[in-house]
Amino acid sequence: MRYFGLLAETLQKEEEIITTQAKNIGDLKNELLKRYPTLENKTFVLAQQNSIKAEEEKLLEQEVALFPPFSGG
Amino acid sequence: MEDRYTRQIRLNEVGKAGQKKLTEAKVLVVGAGGLGCPALQYLAAAGVGTLGIVDFDLVTLTNLHRQIVFEQSDVGRNKAEAAKEKLERLNSKININAYTTSFQLSNGRELLQSYDLVLDATDNFASRYCINDFCVILDKPMVYAALYKFQGQVAVFNYKGGPTYRCLFPTPPKPDEVPNCEMTGVLGVVPGLLGVLQATEVLKIILNLKTVLSGKLLCYDLLSHETKQIEIKPNRAAIATLKEKNSPKEELQLDCNDSLQIDLFSVQDQSNIVWVDVREKGELPLVSLNNQIHLPQSKWEKEWELLKNEETKIVFCQSGQRSKKATALFRRKGILNCYSLSVGATTLQTWNQKVKK
Repeated sequence: MRYFGLLAETLQKEEEIITTQAKNIGDLKNELLKRYPTLENKTFVLAQQNSIKAEEEKLLEQEVALFPPFSGG
Repeated sequence: MEDRYTRQIRLNEVGKAGQKKLTEAKVLVVGAGGLGCPALQYLAAAGVGTLGIVDFDLVTLTNLHRQIVFEQSDVGRNKAEAAKEKLERLNSKININAYTTSFQLSNGRELLQSYDLVLDATDNFASRYCINDFCVILDKPMVYAALYKFQGQVAVFNYKGGPTYRCLFPTPPKPDEVPNCEMTGVLGVVPGLLGVLQATEVLKIILNLKTVLSGKLLCYDLLSHETKQIEIKPNRAAIATLKEKNSPKEELQLDCNDSLQIDLFSVQDQSNIVWVDVREKGELPLVSLNNQIHLPQSKWEKEWELLKNEETKIVFCQSGQRSKKATALFRRKGILNCYSLSVGATTLQTWNQKVKK
């Protein structure tokens, strides 16, 4: 798992390895929300293989990155 | 005799034909801040024929560490006008239009219409989504960048059927969910680099160079220099719906709605105004205004009735975000003669010091 932007501060880590039974991206997201209640109400997208994935897409055994929106300019 | 642009014309990929394209191009830059300043410098230098600069804000001392178009003597001036003057000294052969306003629902279409593309150099979501929606409706490319501390995002949206900002993040985050540079802090080099990357994409689009950053989000970490290019798929149904609707999405009504906001240009006579500071105790700078009350967030629900009077209330905070929230709340309670200041405390203090002289 890789966490970008404010999410890394919310979770107090930039990356980690997790084990999961989730079959698709949506299940993984729900699992993360349960594991980290501070993620609740946070906006972010999940990407795998350098591509943003929809919730119904199959989860692969590879790095998943969480990208929040950035505001600064 | 050497032309100003000789060195770039010499490139095979540019040539005289490319320079002509640059001269004929019209680029709207929304925001003359951390991203806008470096972008504008390089676009002006390269000879983009018409540059529009949209910024309602005033230059403050705290801008100078990163907004490098401005000088110390510019403090207190409107950013769009100060930038125009500086850039004209760099290149007097191009047209520069300064718009001393913010990009809103009420003026977005008119602003964007006469330009070929827009560079989003804003620092808040309401503006970004507003720009996005008008770009989809008017079919103009949007060159986007945004940052958080040492990380940046760059992308070209709505380019030749590519995805839009909403294809990436369909709805804005909640107010206060994502802080901006004023609240988090920033080192000037971060928007410095990202602004130049935006200008690069603008030039690539105008000159038809490969490979425009469309359909991809470039994620850059300046601490590690790690970069990623993340593919974004266009949501064709959503794009078509927005085009057909022909006006930006409703959720922008509150944030982009100028009836809640007031800018400093509108404040002529201070005698009938009560200034409402909604920041927490200890937040700086203190603004030395006549007729001011402090109402931090914890007191909004309990003490809003203090605002029940004939005087016009102008609510302010550090960046204009909390004040919008407070104003919306006070209006719901029935305090209608109440507005949120579009700029933050630092700008207000700079203006106040100038006005007192």
